[in-house]
Amino acid sequence: MDEIKFYGHTPPSVAGEPTPGRLIVIEGTDGVGRSTQIGMLQEWLEAEGYAVTVTGFRRSELAATGINRAMRGNTLDALTLNLFYATDFWDRLEKNIVPALRTGMVALVDRYIFSIIARARVRGVPARWLNDVFEFAVVPDRVLYLDVDVEQLLPRVLAVRQLDHWESGEDFLRGPDLHDNFIRYQSALLQEFRTLAEEHNFVTIDARGSVGDVFEALQAEVREALKGMGDA
Amino acid sequence: MTRLQGHLAYKMGDRYGMHPDDGEYPGTLIIVEGIDGSGKSTQIDLLQKWLNSRNLVTVFTEWNSSPIVRRTTKRGKTEELLTPMSFSLIHAADFASRVHAQILPALRAGATVLADRYVYTAFARDSARGVNRDWLRRIYSFAVQPTLGLYFKVPLDVSIQRINAGREELGYYESGQDMGFSNDREESFRIFQGRLLDEYDAMTEEFGLMTIDATQPIAVQQQLVRRYVEPLLEDAMAVRGQSLPEALGKAGLSGRYIRPPMSRRPTEQEVADL
Repeated sequence: MDEIKFYGHTPPSVAGEPTPGRLIVIEGTDGVGRSTQIGMLQEWLEAEGYAVTVTGFRRSELAATGINRAMRGNTLDALTLNLFYATDFWDRLEKNIVPALRTGMVALVDRYIFSIIARARVRGVPARWLNDVFEFAVVPDRVLYLDVDVEQLLPRVLAVRQLDHWESGEDFLRGPDLHDNFIRYQSALLQEFRTLAEEHNFVTIDARGSVGDVFEALQAEVREALKGMGDA
Repeated sequence: MTRLQGHLAYKMGDRYGMHPDDGEYPGTLIIVEGIDGSGKSTQIDLLQKWLNSRNLVTVFTEWNSSPIVRRTTKRGKTEELLTPMSFSLIHAADFASRVHAQILPALRAGATVLADRYVYTAFARDSARGVNRDWLRRIYSFAVQPTLGLYFKVPLDVSIQRINAGREELGYYESGQDMGFSNDREESFRIFQGRLLDEYDAMTEEFGLMTIDATQPIAVQQQLVRRYVEPLLEDAMAVRGQSLPEALGKAGLSGRYIRPPMSRRPTEQEVADL
């Protein structure tokens, strides 16, 4: 990137200086294999000599604990959760991502604003309002979206753990069947992701293949995104 | 766009054309605004006592008090982790939570909701910290339009005098020290609160807030407040032949969000003072 670009107005305290680094976002639903791929990308990039920072959801110093605490309760509504996530996101953007870009690092972000927006959209929060809220976000150099079918998702998730309340949309779906809720929720989420992919020019990567195949596809895109880096 | 049918269909402000019940509620929303030391909390407290003495169902809500958000805000303040944008976003989260779990249900049930500070506090403080004014208005567009907004206007010197006389020390963020105006806390407070006064002045017209001269005696101000409120009470929900908690329960209002009403009637002296 070199010159930092925002979706809307420039928020206070991050504008100005050049940003020679690269912002690469990996998006996708739960269980699609994001963390595995990000770990591999980081290792590869570091071996190639790039300084890398990795950040993801609910990892901010400010808001991570609060969100986790709120999600254990049962009075958390979609709007509050969204603004809580926005706080967490901003804290990481301002204190981790932007400083990394300024020093010429590669910022690998495990889920960006799009996961937050998709989750809120399926819960009925208007898309225009969500776009307004997140206009303070930096436009990434690449958004790599790992796409998968919902049929593939379930066994992947169940291979490692039980179904989760939030991942099954049980905060707003009222069916008695957890499996059914998971399918309905994740299908709706996938559809939102595909809409967002068109709206924001994601590079869609078929995540149904082997870990190695997916990694190769990601590598090719990251290589493209890093072109010209450090040339100045 | 897919939208699942859940029990929760979010409705937003007019800008997005989705206000619940077209923004028409049986309840009444009265809000007070003003800088620290303006005396607005005293006034809204007296107002609530008066309404309760008339057996009206009141629900009180305060800025920055959501049980699920405020601990994060507090931590951010204590550890000085907040910057203009995170300060803004976390307060918006707090407000959203109170709208959802407290303000809207109470208004839909027909209660009179009294809010000590409202979105205008965010508009003033965040703008004074350089956050985009238009963006603030857009993200807060889910807020319910108050039936009556009262702005207690006070000169800086008076507010500083009152704060020094009574309350706890000035906070780091309260005095805008995060903005680096001055290392001296009182000087910083003066600069920051001065900016807030400018923001409030501009907003009285933008949002039709009624300005009350907050240098007047407390009882005189309260008289004025009650004169503004009186016409709004015609159809207000009253408690009839039952206890207030019972009435609240019937209206579907219960739980930890609903503060128990003031049981005390104003003393004769207080009434006489009016």
